[in-house]
Amino acid sequence: MKQETVRRIISFSLLVILIVVLSVTTDNFLTADNLINLFRECSVVGILAVGVTFVIISSGNNLSSGAMLGTVAMVIARLYHSTALSVTGILLCALLVAICLGALNGFCVGVLQIPDYIATLSVQMICQGLTYVLAIRTPGGQITNEIINNATITGFGGKFLGTPIYRVTVAFFGLALLGQIFLRHTKIGTHIYAMGSNRKSAEYSGISFVRVKMLVFILSAVCSFIAALYLTGRNATTDVASGTTLSFQAISGAVIGGASFAGGRGDMIGTVIGVLFLQILKNGLLKYGLPPNWQLLLSGLVIVGMIVFDAAYNEYMEKRTTKAAAIAREKKGAKS
Amino acid sequence: MSEVQRGEVLFEMKNIEKIFSHVHALDHVNFDVRKGEVHALLGENGAGKSTLIKILTGVYPKDGGQIFMEGKEVEINDRDDALALGIAVIFQELSLIPSLTVYQNIMLGKEEGKFGFVNARKEKKDIQDLIDRYGFPVTADATVETLSVAQKQMVEILKALSTNARIMIMDEPTASLSQRESEILYKIINQLRDQGVSIIYISHRLEEVFNLSDRITVLRDGKNAGEVEKEDIVPSEIVKMMIGKELSESTASRSLHESDTEVELEVKNLSRLGYYEDVSFKVHKGEVLVLTGLVGAGRTEVLRSIYGADPYDSGEIIFEGKVIKPRISDAVAKGFGLIPEDRRTQGFSPLLTVTRNVATTNYDKLAHGGFVNKKDEDELGKKAVEIVDLRPANPNVVVGNLSGGNQQKAVLGKWLTRDLKVILIDEPTVGIDIGAKDEIYEFVEDLAKQGVAVILVSSDIAEVLRVAHRIIVMREGKIIKEFKDGVATQEDILLASSGFTGDEKEVAHE
Repeated sequence: MKQETVRRIISFSLLVILIVVLSVTTDNFLTADNLINLFRECSVVGILAVGVTFVIISSGNNLSSGAMLGTVAMVIARLYHSTALSVTGILLCALLVAICLGALNGFCVGVLQIPDYIATLSVQMICQGLTYVLAIRTPGGQITNEIINNATITGFGGKFLGTPIYRVTVAFFGLALLGQIFLRHTKIGTHIYAMGSNRKSAEYSGISFVRVKMLVFILSAVCSFIAALYLTGRNATTDVASGTTLSFQAISGAVIGGASFAGGRGDMIGTVIGVLFLQILKNGLLKYGLPPNWQLLLSGLVIVGMIVFDAAYNEYMEKRTTKAAAIAREKKGAKS
Repeated sequence: MSEVQRGEVLFEMKNIEKIFSHVHALDHVNFDVRKGEVHALLGENGAGKSTLIKILTGVYPKDGGQIFMEGKEVEINDRDDALALGIAVIFQELSLIPSLTVYQNIMLGKEEGKFGFVNARKEKKDIQDLIDRYGFPVTADATVETLSVAQKQMVEILKALSTNARIMIMDEPTASLSQRESEILYKIINQLRDQGVSIIYISHRLEEVFNLSDRITVLRDGKNAGEVEKEDIVPSEIVKMMIGKELSESTASRSLHESDTEVELEVKNLSRLGYYEDVSFKVHKGEVLVLTGLVGAGRTEVLRSIYGADPYDSGEIIFEGKVIKPRISDAVAKGFGLIPEDRRTQGFSPLLTVTRNVATTNYDKLAHGGFVNKKDEDELGKKAVEIVDLRPANPNVVVGNLSGGNQQKAVLGKWLTRDLKVILIDEPTVGIDIGAKDEIYEFVEDLAKQGVAVILVSSDIAEVLRVAHRIIVMREGKIIKEFKDGVATQEDILLASSGFTGDEKEVAHE
């Protein structure tokens, strides 16, 4: 069976098992309120995870998505606070900043050939530094979190067209759907898989490494921008620490869902499964009265399990091939 | 220009020259390809086959000579030029994307469809039509990672066909195929030839070369050694061309080791599924035993199992009369040494100095309570430089900056500073210039004189004859011949390695 099929079965089963266990053992899990809330809570991470999935499939990683969210949110707050720009102007500026930061990632990885982990770790620090530089301060120099009192911006934190579902959730699922179509049905989507799976071969087929890396990092940055909008809209303010812990949650979601650090594998359906799994795990721990930080420990173990599975699967396939060759050789020997 | 007819010359390389740092890798080589023929390129390792292919595919620039396609002179500066001329290399499965489907792989980089979307249905249908036309046993929407090696190769061939390749280069295409799969490939090759595709075929398996080829060109030491049409193929003549007349008579120049010395190491019925099978031999103290054969014969794997670097499934390894279960962690302490095939990744640490590299195998002596005495370490480094005659004679130079020969000497230094009992040496002179080669042979001889049991793996037949006391030829994981009495000639070894164990007249020859 295909590696991706097996992985999908595993991650989907884990999610279903978790849902069934929680539905049976707790009485307030399967309530509309709880589910709507749960979807709301995971959506910002989910939007980041959609962006990070592109990067991971291209064989790489993006450690800067959360910090970039923080910077973009701070750009919005700063411009709102200190300039007379319209909301549209503010958001366009913020989007431009995000694209530039994404392009910086793409430049470091694609043109300068710095490994993804190192490049995006550096850009993460640059983003955090920028957030501090832009932060709004009192005359005494203390950082303050000013309220953003604008209906358009806070509207992003609201509900979707009179339904009880939050806009951010709709954005998450919408982006995941678009991402899925993009990955599976466009030329560039195929090129991302090809580059992640076998760079040499992709380049021999005329696909540019620089362009693929630029693209995936800019897509990821745009996702950070969208996530920043909804987070800022919900909180009506932003903090210098906003988003910084979200990078790893986004990566975890993508990896649990089937994206492989070796590249070339994974998709948005998997990432949605992974992100939901993490959130439901956290939700369940709370329902059992366990500290929610256990989610970290458990998701860490699940990720290790998934990576061990990937390695074991590859080894199994390799063994099967050599075994088949050995048997074929045996037969050949018997014949001659 | 009129279309080239079948059987006429399609592509021609004239007086091709290539010089690598004063070495004439190709010396006025001529090579041409007719439309719709299978043209085999033969030669020993280092004869210039791969250099010629690399020039032909634009990987290396040529230093002299001309290339013609359909009579017009052309320049091939990179892969794209080669592809545009219709020259394609059939890579092993390496160049495919495992997680994509067959049709996605074939259409990669030239996808069809509007507005950036892929028209998957049309692509799938077109590729399935192409597959059906040739009758390959694969489907267009199968994922590549689920295919067998042979099927992956077919996808490679399809990929080349989809770019309208007129000349396909197949380099050892049957190396990882079973007999049945090889036969399917032969059928495909014949089919391609009938459709007017020309194939440049490179293989160490002489038997299949003789069966498939319409023509054979032999290279030796970067020069044309001969060209033979199908009806004139005589296996022993071609082997002579590959080796060179003068050398083909040369035998092991060394007197045989008297095998009354003590057996140091014995391997009994050692097997590892998929790698080697039922391997048995003895090595005496002071003896140089050479394992030879083609790449992939399982020689390196046997060495690694003896050292404990890889496992084995069954059999026994007996060291100084006792059955041992080799473990890499105590191999060094027992007096084993390994000089690996790929020294850059396995032999030394390129960023460390000679002293530090030599010290890595000697910390049992250097360390006192976990601390290393810097003075002793420096002393050892100096000693090693002296023993192996390293140039520059500086123990503080970083090994990565040394020349290939001196890097290998530094690796030798790791072991020559110890009291060895058994040393396992894998292809010690690959990529090393001739002067340094001789020095390395001398070290091997010295080790043997000191009573060390040496097992050496080599594909270089001249080297085998130079250092061996005893020669074992392996093929496809099995020992197929042992030369005990020093009468082996290059020809004997080459024929045995390539699968001719007995009478050459048995070769099927249409």
